[in-house]
Amino acid sequence: MKRVGILGTGNIAGVHLAGWQRLPVEITAHYDIFPQAAEKAAQQFGGRAFTDLAQFFDHVDIVDICSPSHAHKDNVLAAAAAGKAIVCEKPLARHLSDCYAIVEGVERAGVPLFIAQVVRFFPQFARAKAVLDSGALGKPGVIRTIRAGAYPRGSAFFANFELSGGVILDVSIHDIDFQRWCFGDVERVFARGLTFADQTKDHALITLRFANGALGHIEGGWASPPGQWRTRIEICGDQGMLEWDAEEDAPITKIMANAAGDGKIRTTSSPLGPDENPYYAELAHFLECLETGQPLRVTPRDALQNVKVALAAIESVRTGQPIDIATFEEQAA
Amino acid sequence: MTTQITTKPVKIGMLSFAHGHAYSYLNSLRNIPGVTVAGVYDDDVTRGQSAAEQYKTEFFSAEALLAQDLDGVIICSENAKHRPMVELAAGRVRHILCEKPIAISMADAQAMIDVCAKTGTKLQIAFPVRFAPTIQALKATLDNGELGQVFAVQATNHGSMPGGWFIDKTLAGGGAVLDHTVHVIDVLRWFWGTEVTEVYAEIGDSLLHPGLGIDDAGLLSFKLANGIYGTLDTSWSRLASYTTWGDVKIEITAENGIVFVDSLKQHLAVSSELVGKTRWHGWGSNMDQGLINDFIGMIREDRSPSITGEDGLRALEVALGAYQSAASGKPVQLPLGGE
Repeated sequence: MKRVGILGTGNIAGVHLAGWQRLPVEITAHYDIFPQAAEKAAQQFGGRAFTDLAQFFDHVDIVDICSPSHAHKDNVLAAAAAGKAIVCEKPLARHLSDCYAIVEGVERAGVPLFIAQVVRFFPQFARAKAVLDSGALGKPGVIRTIRAGAYPRGSAFFANFELSGGVILDVSIHDIDFQRWCFGDVERVFARGLTFADQTKDHALITLRFANGALGHIEGGWASPPGQWRTRIEICGDQGMLEWDAEEDAPITKIMANAAGDGKIRTTSSPLGPDENPYYAELAHFLECLETGQPLRVTPRDALQNVKVALAAIESVRTGQPIDIATFEEQAA
Repeated sequence: MTTQITTKPVKIGMLSFAHGHAYSYLNSLRNIPGVTVAGVYDDDVTRGQSAAEQYKTEFFSAEALLAQDLDGVIICSENAKHRPMVELAAGRVRHILCEKPIAISMADAQAMIDVCAKTGTKLQIAFPVRFAPTIQALKATLDNGELGQVFAVQATNHGSMPGGWFIDKTLAGGGAVLDHTVHVIDVLRWFWGTEVTEVYAEIGDSLLHPGLGIDDAGLLSFKLANGIYGTLDTSWSRLASYTTWGDVKIEITAENGIVFVDSLKQHLAVSSELVGKTRWHGWGSNMDQGLINDFIGMIREDRSPSITGEDGLRALEVALGAYQSAASGKPVQLPLGGE
């Protein structure tokens, strides 16, 4: 049984651990730059907490990197040097130079690296891609997706653009990944948004031109009221289209009297069976690929291109100009 | 007395049925007491005579129709013929309702505005979306200030590929981008009393309809003078297999919240073996009736047009700017420089 170690103990680590717990692996190790956090994770999920990375690596076969994106480069390169199979949260890194270093490093080390672009494992997104691939929609035409929620209050990381890259690098990168998966390489990006508007919100409207001539539109938002979260898919081709909207297509609606008894509270939900949980499905896919040698659904190059398009979109917001992806290079940070 | 004003007899002539909205406008005219459709003209005689027969009115030559002591005309010709028809009617009638887009060039649009000003003719542009109660409710929400500062507007005006002269550049002036930019841009200008100052566009030619020979997909990204930014999808992306002809959706992101308006949401989903698929049958208020009521009200109350030639020209300018942007690959500043 493969041994899994979790590097970083933030919120997403808990989500991944819930997935690993259902898979035929042994959770053996936890590491965090804050030793108490690693201790706490070990108590909750089993395995040992380590304060030394080399010792941590000695006790695992798979390293699951759940640290903040600015730490990804050092963490991935260390795990690669130790010869481990690696899962790493998205985005690949905060800056392109780190992305290049990571891709080069894992290729040199010859270790598998899987970037957890989880949207490819959401059943409605995976099904949309399958419908597109079936030819039912014909040739790719226009793809539109929305991913909009509330501002991540109380998180020093997300609120700090220098660390997180704002809504485009943290949220819209999911849509960039999904749209690239569906329509292929992006040639050009143009975007407007609140990223540099000195607001306690972030929001972006992004247009993409794909190399095959098709068009893409992405809305990314950290500007909705607290508790609001919306995703939407629309793919149009020359033979048909598909659309799905979380706002409209939830199968369960619950309407309860409010506490005062003079009004209602309406909530909706869309439950899935445990195997369709995308955070489980992506890890199950990784494990299966490790065991069978099948190709990973998300390659390191995909993850690098996603970051490149996202950073180009941010550059477009900053400069007000369209950005050509092939020639785009990030200005020195 | 108000009642006298509102029932004052009004005689309207129809100039051309090239655009299908002519039939809807004619139906709307017939719903208003005291309004007479005095006759029709069409340079496609067969189409005009068939419309005259259908609506039990008379088919005239253009000259003869304009000699019928009309209060106004409704022009639903091909886009490129709006200018000659307005020039023909201006001064012969005091009120003109012209289908959108106002024209296919800034010069044509300005000439239409000028001839109407010179002859004392009131020119109204047909932007019925302003009369959709859903859109009016959104305007009321924006006006009452509850949203706080508005940051962004994300809109779509998708449609079905209309075929016919709509895909002939000489007659239409452009495809999906010209056809579907102007409605939404007009309501945004109306919401905030503002202008578009910059437009960037990605346009697809024959993208959704191989071999079409004209633009059938468009994504516009724009900035308004009041600081709001937005995007608009003008694509003819609704194929015959879809549930309806298209959509008009406007989504607002603001300081205090978000608002989604889907103006075709008031529908029955009708599944019929006779059709072989599910179609939406709208039951919302008829915005064309609202537009025609407003046009007749202008005539009866002798007031200024609620939607002017200038409104038509400014909306057209954004579409023309979008084509310029797609050609140059750069954002285009508005107003456009001299043509």
